[in-house]
Amino acid sequence: MSEVGPAQAQQELRRPSPVGDRLAGAVLLIVAVGAWWHSHSFVTGFMQPVGPGAFPRLVAVPLALLSAYLILRPGFNERWPDRAALGRQLAVIVLLVIYASLLEPLGFVPVTVVGSVLLLRLFGAAWRQGLIYGVALALGLYALFEFGLGMPLPDVPWLTLPWAGE
Amino acid sequence: METLAFLAHGFAVATQPEFLLLALIGCTVGTLIGALPGLGPVNGVALMIPLAFNFGLEPTAALILLVSVYYGCMYGGRISSIVLNIPGDEPAMMTTLDGYPMALKGRGGEALGLSAVASFVGATFATIGLTLFAPLLVQVAIKFGPAEYFALFMLAFATIGGVTSGSFAKSFIAACLGLLLGTVGIDPVSSVARYTFGAFELYDGIDFIVALVGLFAVSECLVFLERRHDADKPHIQLGSAWPGMKASLSCKGTIGRGSVIGFIAGVLPGAGASLGSFLSYMLEKRWLGKKGDFGNGDPRGVAAPEAGNNAAAGGALIPMLSLGIPGSGTTAILLALLLSMNITPGPLLFEQQPDMVWGLVAALFIGNIMLLVLNVPLVGLFARVLQAPSWFLMPMVVLIAFVGVYSLNNSPFDLYMMLGFGVLGYVLRKLEIPTVPVVLGLLLGGQMEFNLRRAMSISGGDWSLLWSSGISVGIYAFAVSMIVAGAVYAMLLKRRLGLHS
Repeated sequence: MSEVGPAQAQQELRRPSPVGDRLAGAVLLIVAVGAWWHSHSFVTGFMQPVGPGAFPRLVAVPLALLSAYLILRPGFNERWPDRAALGRQLAVIVLLVIYASLLEPLGFVPVTVVGSVLLLRLFGAAWRQGLIYGVALALGLYALFEFGLGMPLPDVPWLTLPWAGE
Repeated sequence: METLAFLAHGFAVATQPEFLLLALIGCTVGTLIGALPGLGPVNGVALMIPLAFNFGLEPTAALILLVSVYYGCMYGGRISSIVLNIPGDEPAMMTTLDGYPMALKGRGGEALGLSAVASFVGATFATIGLTLFAPLLVQVAIKFGPAEYFALFMLAFATIGGVTSGSFAKSFIAACLGLLLGTVGIDPVSSVARYTFGAFELYDGIDFIVALVGLFAVSECLVFLERRHDADKPHIQLGSAWPGMKASLSCKGTIGRGSVIGFIAGVLPGAGASLGSFLSYMLEKRWLGKKGDFGNGDPRGVAAPEAGNNAAAGGALIPMLSLGIPGSGTTAILLALLLSMNITPGPLLFEQQPDMVWGLVAALFIGNIMLLVLNVPLVGLFARVLQAPSWFLMPMVVLIAFVGVYSLNNSPFDLYMMLGFGVLGYVLRKLEIPTVPVVLGLLLGGQMEFNLRRAMSISGGDWSLLWSSGISVGIYAFAVSMIVAGAVYAMLLKRRLGLHS
């Protein structure tokens, strides 16, 4: 590790990747064509030499051309994650989506305590560490934001706290 | 002389106790964020923006806080470069080349002290440059009309595309994507909803703060998840940082040259700090020739890039403040902050809000001194933070991002949007499509379109107005030359890397 300079280490992580770039090019090409097509539905106002659709079209053209270029001449990608890493990333995203959706119905503290313990686990903490530091992190953040910075966070709906409702 | 009077007034603003405290907090937090591997100025400032917002800071205070974080990050980046051989942020990459070998020889403390002084000189030099050159640029910019501004935006994209990545096509794709995302929402001129597909949350457009935190902070955490375990962190005896102060005297030529080169790289839109440190390291190596021992722990190999990247960070503020065109990712985020506080940087800012501009400049001078004081005696403390386990730091970053973004509008929709941008940012990074032009596009798109349409309504739809004035032709010519320079630079870089492997 120490023998490899950062520039070389980065080189090793890069791969010529025709599939990734072509896929990205195709998706972006569809986006560009879709944006072009959809822009015609914007109603041009009265007395406007340049309507609301012109600028998106002006951007969609180079985007389409460049995406086509990407499909024809794909370049380098960083190494894509392996299956285990992908699993962890998906788990974190799913966890965070659930966290976001429960934040208001259940209140900040309970959701964040559970969320941060699981998050610490996913980032590689042992259960013991995760439990201790997760609870501490959640309560610390609550204290910092609610009292330190004075930002109201969603309360637990069935609990009335003495400092809530200000 | 007029400038001096303004600056004196600025010091009167910046020395108010509240602003001094904010600068100190910003410098400390910035150094910490910069020191942590993986979190650089872009992520750090992105993370701090929602907090500054929710805290209800007035614009001057918020700007002082965030710019202190920015300068602090530039100082902090070197710490993990030297101690762990992992650049704390991208501009600190060149510092690993000689900083880590110095640490292995037991001269880590000296390297940290020396780099703190080099950072201080570079940043101070750039701040003086900002004081002198920004008002001059403003006098030119005051003559700009909508057509010239449109040209200026084109220049920003041309240059940021030229330097930020190896592939032109990819950085222009990123810019177009950002511009397209910027058109989402109600069109301010005609009140037509564009690309909202009926989702009323999108009517206000995509909040760039939400996008920023997602693209930079959340995607960084996803990158981190690829590695399961903490890398072994070597314990190195650092020693005192004081000898570095003395060593910096013998490197004064190096520091001076590094500062000048870095400053020039910073002022050029789109170049930024990474190029500043790269160029000052490479040119210093060439300059010293056989007299240097670069790559094996030569102190000058630490001084040059650190002076360079800090000078570039200061230089990048010039186009941001005087033209409203950010030169780097971090200044783009600072611009986002100003725009969301309804402040448009540019020549008018200097006329209408001199308190803010000059207070900020004075705060930069003060912040630099604070950073030097923080970074010489207390550097051991910062180095210890690096031992904190990443399984704790990364979840903390995620949760701070969550709370900060949620508190903006108290809306879970923003959180989903942030996660979406996090995934987008991650995929783009894997594809080696740079994310900075996306942010720039999202940020400048509205202004760019507005100026285009204003120019068209002046000319009655005649597109040739765009290139009818001398200034705009000059800007386009400069843009083209920047693209050519970028291509040459990329070619040289490729040849260089090719020789090494």
